[in-house]
Amino acid sequence: MNKPLVKTHDYILKRNSQIKRNISGWAVMSPGIMLFAFFVWIPLLSALIMSFTKTVGFQIEGFVWLDNFKEIFADLDFQRAFQNTFSYLAWSLLIGFVIPIVIGLLLSETIHFKGLFRIGIYMPSAIAGLTIAILFSFLFDPSSTGFLNNVLKWLGFAPLSWLEDPDLVIPLIVVTMTWRGAGATALIYLSAFQQINTNYYEAARIDGANAWQRITNITLPSIIPTLSVLFVLQVISVMQVFFEPFVMTNGGGADRSSLSLLLLAYQYAFRDGRADLSSATTLILFLIILALSLIYFTLVGALKKRGYKV
Amino acid sequence: MSNNKFVFPKLKYKQAGILNFIEYKHKRFKFVYIIMMVFLVLALFFAIFPLFYLLIQSFKSPEEINSNVFKFWPEVINLGKIIDVWQVSGLGVYFFNTITVVIGAILSSIVFNGLLAYGVSIVKPRGSRFVYGLILGSYMIPTVLSIIPLFAMIVNLKLINSFIPLWFAFGANAFYFINFKNYFDKIPTELVESMRIDGCGDFQIFFKLILPISKPIIGTIAILATSAAWGDFLLPKLVLMDDSMFTLMVKLFSINATMGTVAGYTPDMLLMALLLSIIPQILIFLVFQKQITGGSLEGGVKE
Repeated sequence: MNKPLVKTHDYILKRNSQIKRNISGWAVMSPGIMLFAFFVWIPLLSALIMSFTKTVGFQIEGFVWLDNFKEIFADLDFQRAFQNTFSYLAWSLLIGFVIPIVIGLLLSETIHFKGLFRIGIYMPSAIAGLTIAILFSFLFDPSSTGFLNNVLKWLGFAPLSWLEDPDLVIPLIVVTMTWRGAGATALIYLSAFQQINTNYYEAARIDGANAWQRITNITLPSIIPTLSVLFVLQVISVMQVFFEPFVMTNGGGADRSSLSLLLLAYQYAFRDGRADLSSATTLILFLIILALSLIYFTLVGALKKRGYKV
Repeated sequence: MSNNKFVFPKLKYKQAGILNFIEYKHKRFKFVYIIMMVFLVLALFFAIFPLFYLLIQSFKSPEEINSNVFKFWPEVINLGKIIDVWQVSGLGVYFFNTITVVIGAILSSIVFNGLLAYGVSIVKPRGSRFVYGLILGSYMIPTVLSIIPLFAMIVNLKLINSFIPLWFAFGANAFYFINFKNYFDKIPTELVESMRIDGCGDFQIFFKLILPISKPIIGTIAILATSAAWGDFLLPKLVLMDDSMFTLMVKLFSINATMGTVAGYTPDMLLMALLLSIIPQILIFLVFQKQITGGSLEGGVKE
């Protein structure tokens, strides 16, 4: 055992180069870290702290703990926004979830005008959401000379007041969001459909499975991982609906019929000057999203344990 | 359909998918195929029609839009109206501001996320895994939730009414960072080590070696950042105060919000401005559609 008592020259050189490397590495990373700290980490932490404090003009004055939450829970606007946000979610799953799957399947099963269909159907996703919200608020023109009302008249129906109708406004905003998002989502499903091994279909065909049996036994089970990821992404994104009601109904409508939680948070901060209430509202929204994600991950985990491919 | 043989002859060669040439020998399945095409044509129609409607509507005069008699087509299509609206609403300034924001956003997305990803993926100093964990941890948290403290910080730094926060905000994007890191992970370490032996520092290695061999990912990020910065709305709306600093999105929003109250802005002008702001977005998409749809595919399926 001739273990050297003194660290060898080689070792010191290696250690020095390792130290040099660490310093240089942190130097390279520091601009990015600073930006992440400024734009993401510090604001998230401040928002968390602000929810439990009283603020005056965006500056923290002192802790009030749960007072902000008591105040917003008692606010009728908050109750309305809370309900509306889940209403957005329900409508979005009803209208927006199946359409992209069907389009993706049709795109993968057809071989004519492939490029035209793909580019055309994706096109709305390439346009900024704000411009689409403004465009659709024109499309849903409630006057008797509006385009859609004339289509209804031509079909023999009574005209609608569209976004001014409190029962219609949320579904119509969801239609706008779906119009923008469906094409991009359909292409994701398309790629999932195309990754299915053709041999499975061959084998099923030889076994005498008809087209419908092939869809239910091969196609749909194969895309479940994609389906479940897109499901949770859609839930997370629709919970944050903001600028569609902001733009299309002038801040949630006079009767608050399209007010969402994030829009209310914006109004608390910039209309009422209450950054504390605003942060408390976004914290609630974050906790809802977190809870939904946790339910999703536990569910997926439990299913995976039982051998399901999720 | 007596000439059934000649309907979609390409189907004879279709191998993949749920239905293939075996089924398409039968009339019944050719009919199914026709129904599928009809549905796709309908989907295409619904995707394109609102844009077409915007095109038609923006060439109408204010009287036509407000008239009691509904007509689908405008009386005249006067291309001079594009120039009129451009001049009256001073769109040139807002286009210029938007392009300024977009260019800064592209540079910032590539340099800052790229440098950080290079550090985490290749240099790997002690503790870089912690930074990686922090970024991944904040990736799932929507950044809009913290927009108010961010705005307060920008106000405190007196960066209000400036493009600087809009540029740098793109330098802290977890999605771009992850894409860079995944790409850099595949770069052979021998390349980097050989430059290090030649006495190059990490900044030099990044700019002279890594960036030039990362053109595909830089292209993808640049395109994604372009469309994100072009359509960015909430932060510009909060940060930009003077009309002369507005980006197109902020201007469109303000025209829409004040329409009917400010003299000079009529619905058809807003629609024309909307059209002019959408055209570059569509052109960018048509030119780079491969990268754009590819990017969205990766972004969505990642687990």
